[in-house]
Amino acid sequence: MLMHEVLVVGGGLAGLMAALKAAEKADVAVLSKVYPTRSHSGAAQGGFNAALGEDDSIEAHIFDTVKGGDYLGDQDAIEVLCSEGPEVIMELERMGVPWTRTPEGKVAQRSLGGAGFPRACFAADFSGHVVLHTLYEQVLRRRVKIYPEWYLIDLLVEGGQVAGVLAYDFPRGRLEVIRTKVVVLATGGCGRAFAKTTNAHANTGDGMAIAYRAGAILSDMEFVQFHPTTLYGTNILISEAARGEGGYLRNAYGERFMAHYAPQKMELAPRDVVSRAIFKEIKEGRGVAGRYVHLDLTHLGEAKIAERLPQVRDLAMRYAGVDPAREPVPIEPAQHYSMGGVRTDVWGMTNLPGLLAAGEVANVSVHGANRLGGNSLLETVVFGRRAGWKAAELARQEPWPSLTSSTLKRALATWDALLDAGGEEGQGRNGDSAFAIRREMTTLMTEQVGVFRTGSELEDAVRKLAQLRDRYQRLKPPGGSRPFNYALMDYLEVGYLLDLCEIIAKGALRRTESRGAHYRLDYPRRDDQNWLCHTFVRRGEKGPEFSNGPVKITRYAPQERGY
Amino acid sequence: MRVTLKVSRFDPAKDRQPYLQEFVVEVGEKQTVLDALLHAWEVDPTLSFRRSCRSAICGSCAVSINGRPALACQTLVGSAVAEGGVITLEPLPHFRRLKDLVVDLEPFFASLQAVLPWVVTREDHDGLMDPEVARKLEGPATCILCGVCDAAIEVAGEVKPAALVKGLRLALDPRDALGAARLQLMKVPPEILRLFVRELTQKCPKGIKIAFGEGES
Ligand SMILES: Cc1cc2nc3c(=O)[nH]c(=O)nc-3n(C[C@H](O)[C@H](O)[C@H](O)COP(=O)(O)OP(=O)(O)OC[C@H]3O[C@@H](n4cnc5c(N)ncnc54)[C@H](O)[C@@H]3O)c2cc1C
Ligand code: SF4
Ligand code: FES
Repeated sequence: MLMHEVLVVGGGLAGLMAALKAAEKADVAVLSKVYPTRSHSGAAQGGFNAALGEDDSIEAHIFDTVKGGDYLGDQDAIEVLCSEGPEVIMELERMGVPWTRTPEGKVAQRSLGGAGFPRACFAADFSGHVVLHTLYEQVLRRRVKIYPEWYLIDLLVEGGQVAGVLAYDFPRGRLEVIRTKVVVLATGGCGRAFAKTTNAHANTGDGMAIAYRAGAILSDMEFVQFHPTTLYGTNILISEAARGEGGYLRNAYGERFMAHYAPQKMELAPRDVVSRAIFKEIKEGRGVAGRYVHLDLTHLGEAKIAERLPQVRDLAMRYAGVDPAREPVPIEPAQHYSMGGVRTDVWGMTNLPGLLAAGEVANVSVHGANRLGGNSLLETVVFGRRAGWKAAELARQEPWPSLTSSTLKRALATWDALLDAGGEEGQGRNGDSAFAIRREMTTLMTEQVGVFRTGSELEDAVRKLAQLRDRYQRLKPPGGSRPFNYALMDYLEVGYLLDLCEIIAKGALRRTESRGAHYRLDYPRRDDQNWLCHTFVRRGEKGPEFSNGPVKITRYAPQERGY
Repeated sequence: MRVTLKVSRFDPAKDRQPYLQEFVVEVGEKQTVLDALLHAWEVDPTLSFRRSCRSAICGSCAVSINGRPALACQTLVGSAVAEGGVITLEPLPHFRRLKDLVVDLEPFFASLQAVLPWVVTREDHDGLMDPEVARKLEGPATCILCGVCDAAIEVAGEVKPAALVKGLRLALDPRDALGAARLQLMKVPPEILRLFVRELTQKCPKGIKIAFGEGES
């Protein structure tokens, strides 16, 4: 049986940072369903926020984050995020990140939405990519053991303590048990719950669902960020950096419509505000061709676009057939980020002993009801680092938890039976398939649990999701040989997503107010009296059980949010 | 448009020989070969191929498209079909096939080790870097480790193309303590490296340009 004191699940920024830090003091391995360099962190374009500038301050970063999150963020966690930002950026610099530089040679910074200063450290528009590859280099240097293309399938919990994981070795098609003292979940977000999303195929929320099934608390799952500028049709992200560098949004009449919605910040208002504005423009008949709006970069000039936004240009040319230096780019909002996740404290600790979480899978909560551009990448490295330290400390202190053979046998038997249930033929004979269920589920989420929500649509969504779950339960898993059986993994992922969709939809129905990214047409106001609280959810006998959790407010009392 | 895909299939658990399976799928001209493959997958869920980001940044979907190594998510169906009516998809050449279009990446990732693939930071590094120098790092730092160069470019010597790219990126980094020793690690004479760098820009899906030996000839 495999054993590692610390097992990090996920090879994105949060996971690699955690692994590096834990490796200083403990035996660590990284388990990841895609090779670490294929993690979705690599797609991040805009940058990492940190108050490095002389005019900027940690205080200002904290305030912008609290306000941007519509006062739902925990201010103690936000303080950690912003205070440790500058130091982590310089640590990454020493590791070899090829940041873009100012004329004086310092790490260059750009403006992203909702920030009072140019605060996002970047490398052209490949910011996530270069840091992911640098951390991967460091992980190689430290000789951290990597299990690439291994899927976390289940957490092995005994007496309330996480004692190991059940993993699926995808290349060989075998279940494996890994015993461990500490699991650090860094499995990223669940964007694939939505039909229109900027997220990669791998972002199916596995970690959130697996932790929830094992008894961990999830929080604030109804807060889902919709990014304003994704390519119309494919929903490939066009970074906020495009607006940070000076891009305009225009409606069918060529008008910079943000003047009506956020006269001061204009295009750089927070994402929730901009996404709603775009939808409103389209709905009220001012969309281009009735369906999208334009992101106009033509006035920036070819040279600036080539220097600062090369990837944006490439993506627009290739996937939309439009050269942003010459023509405006058709864009529409799409799901982008999950503010909610596995509830943790500022050290990544969850309510399950032995389980830590960091990155998009976690909810600390620094983003509150709406994440600011550049804060998520920062979160991955700041809290990944802390989770790594904490994991090593726990590994030093704690004895090996017991894991009895009966627990193991039960887990192995259950999962082996499920994985083999498809036989040679597999699903499809009764006409239904995981593909069909996924398509209906994601369309439903985009249409009824999206940017604008109403009680009746949410009720309907909850009903339909229950029907989809019934259909899913009757489905036979896909058949065929096990190694590299993508359909089999897809089938499991649809199961995770169904759990999460139910939680998101029910959470959204429950929260009868509008705050940050959660917007209820039937309750258009923020209601601090009743809803200045986190949504906690645990798995109960008959499905998710919801409760309210306190928000930590240390310095900034809630105010009206104007931009 | 209606497109015919010919996909090379091979499952070591049951096939003695690889064979081509035909799929006829309906895709937009502006959609990608990856989109076409995803349609084919719904027709036959046992088809195996790697993918994730669908925007040419993760490096997962490198396959041979009509005989040329490329990223499926970066190749538009329209342009692939123009080459001959059907789109033929095979695993990357020079890689060991594990199943269908999936190849063994372990030797590929291990090949990076030859160049000590990390910055060995100089003790006296002060956190600053000339912006012009930083700009030179950008090209090679956009490498997504997709493996296309290893499949498409022959270089004499034991160090493989993607590892050379990593080595060259590190050699350009003023923070690195190894300095001139970086070039020795690559074990390729400079004139061959210059040719390699030129060929790379043509064949790499990211069109990576490396400022190596510029101005000399
Ligand atoms: C297109 C795009 C652009 C973005 N740009 C920015 C930006 O400019 N600034 C910013 O701050 N934020 C940005 N974000 C958000 C930010 O990139 C992500 O929130 C962040 O990178 C998430 O990192 P992570 O390490 O938590 O997860 P990821 O990078 O998603 O990594 C998740 C890891 O978990 C693994 N995994 C998942 N499930 C399993 C399983 N079952 N078993 C084993 N392994 C598993 C995966 O293999 C992967 O390695 C962007 C997001 C997107 C989609
Ligand atoms: S250099 Fe280009 S072709 Fe080679 S691995 Fe990197 S991105 Fe792929
Ligand atoms: S799917 Fe990521 S490069 Fe093609």
